[in-house]
Amino acid sequence: MALLEVRNLATHFFTREGTVRAVDGVSFALEPGKTLGIVGESGSGKSVTALSIMGLIPKPPAEIVSGDVLFEGRDLTKLSEKQLEDVRGREIAMIFQDPMTSLNPTLTIGTQITETIRRHYDVPKQQARKKAVELLEEVQIPRAADRLDDYPHRFSGGMRQRVMIAIALSCDPKLLIADEPTTALDVTVQAAVLDLLDDLRQAHEMAMILITHDMGVVAESADDIVVMYGGQIVEHASVNDLFDRPEHPYTEALLGALPQIEGEGIRTGRLTAIPGRPPDLKNPPPACRFAPRCPYANANDSCATVIPELREIRKDHWVRTAHPACERAGAREPEKVQA
Amino acid sequence: MVANPTDIREEGIAVEPGAAPASGAPLRQSNLWRDAWRRYIRNRGAVVAGSIFVLVLLYCLIAPILSPHDPNAVDFAMASQNPTWEHPFGTDKFGRDLFTRTALGGRVSMAIGFGATLAILAIGVVYGAISGFVGGRLDNGLMRFLDALYGLPYLPFAIITLAIIGKTNLWTMMVALSIASWFTAARIVRGQVITLKENDYVRAAKAVGARWYRILGRHLLPNTLGVLIIAIFLELPAVILGEAFLSFIGLGISPPDASWGAMAQEGRTVYRTHPTAIIVPSIAIATLVLCANFVADGLRDALDPRTKES
Repeated sequence: MALLEVRNLATHFFTREGTVRAVDGVSFALEPGKTLGIVGESGSGKSVTALSIMGLIPKPPAEIVSGDVLFEGRDLTKLSEKQLEDVRGREIAMIFQDPMTSLNPTLTIGTQITETIRRHYDVPKQQARKKAVELLEEVQIPRAADRLDDYPHRFSGGMRQRVMIAIALSCDPKLLIADEPTTALDVTVQAAVLDLLDDLRQAHEMAMILITHDMGVVAESADDIVVMYGGQIVEHASVNDLFDRPEHPYTEALLGALPQIEGEGIRTGRLTAIPGRPPDLKNPPPACRFAPRCPYANANDSCATVIPELREIRKDHWVRTAHPACERAGAREPEKVQA
Repeated sequence: MVANPTDIREEGIAVEPGAAPASGAPLRQSNLWRDAWRRYIRNRGAVVAGSIFVLVLLYCLIAPILSPHDPNAVDFAMASQNPTWEHPFGTDKFGRDLFTRTALGGRVSMAIGFGATLAILAIGVVYGAISGFVGGRLDNGLMRFLDALYGLPYLPFAIITLAIIGKTNLWTMMVALSIASWFTAARIVRGQVITLKENDYVRAAKAVGARWYRILGRHLLPNTLGVLIIAIFLELPAVILGEAFLSFIGLGISPPDASWGAMAQEGRTVYRTHPTAIIVPSIAIATLVLCANFVADGLRDALDPRTKES
């Protein structure tokens, strides 16, 4: 049984200007111990998907209008707020984008870690402190025991994100959701934090959902990748298959926009940008949401009239488009032939 | 000779736990409050005002204990004296020592001032926190109710309250002065709670399962403390002035007990022949109000992280 199974999840924001379909029919499953990367540009619905799983979407204006979030067989969308609170931190933990603002400036980091531990486990303060020191050592904060009584502003951004990770790990969750965990960090720190996350995921036998807009980030540590666009999943495949044989024009464009510095068949010249803008989710394109920006859509096809289904184009490779790479006229052979 | 770079780095790290930091690079022990204190003492006006405030406070507390004069002993032979060494502030028309009585009046004025301020904050914090934290329809209702109350004029309402209670003492004065002046405090707290509620660390706390009372008590209210401290020093002068006004028009503390307002009222009857009796309590009120405003100003600058220099 999958650890987490999201089925046809739809989260809408009901605003005065209209309904924003931030997440519109998202389904995926995650096995224990695996990492799922969710990729997409700003506003594609990745974060709202994560917050919906946690039950942390701001209600109102947001509302889960349909779908199930099955965690170990339990539907989280049906739980009461009280039951959800027991799940959060204990079973599913989450870390956020900006470590500079995710810690309370008026509490020492020791307090913030021990309170989380004592929220879920009935242990005496001293024992919780001991566990906190261990956690800080695990996330490789030097002089952990001394730093327990420091306030957050005495830590750098990378160190604070490590503290956030320590808090997230404090109750041994089975699933860790990392929402753009390295976006706000210095480039030099990003790799270190990502490596740490992956090591800890293995050591704690956790599953992880890694949300990012950076293809390079998921390439390193994800097993499967979901590409989101306009609140929908447009492509879902294993990491190797996705990078080797992307099918959706959007995924291709994303990869084309990625700088390469090594490897075979290296592209030279300018990076290709994707023309146009992300769809307005209050009033999305009628059928395929990528159609207005798609280089393959034209007046003669069905892109503007028929909603493309997410279909399995080959084993474990799902795509939502009328123009997958392998079906195009003069479809290119897999790139390996050229190299 | 170039020192081995590893040695230098080793030295930097090898600070013994608990050892005094090397004088070259002192570990800057600082937190929110220490930083605020540092900024406050750089503000000269606020420091002077704060010192005077403390001095007035000490004078009110200590002078009646040390004074050889009975503050309520009537001695017409000594009536309406000008300041002398024996009576630094002179005497009133009943021959009572004004130095002792001003201190005693200050006690009453400040007790009412601080008491009413705390009551205002207590009501304001509870009302504002509930409104801001729960939000939605309840918030809307509570705030519209507050808007309606806002129309009540503060002093007439205090007068009516005193008239309804029918007794005038320290406690009823506090009630009268706080009952129509907690609206602003409630609004401040509500605004703060709503702003803080959107903070990332509140979301992060929710993401690890923190319950609502923990979020309110640990993450929201402590962060409103800075604003509340400022509110105390802004509210205090208003309350002290209100007390003085009520006592001056004869609705406040009644003789022989003293308060600054009551003393000014007594002095008013003899101000042509003996102005000291009205000048002394008036200056006391003015000093305290002025100083409290300066302190509030200094605190606002000190507690605002945006004025963080160095």
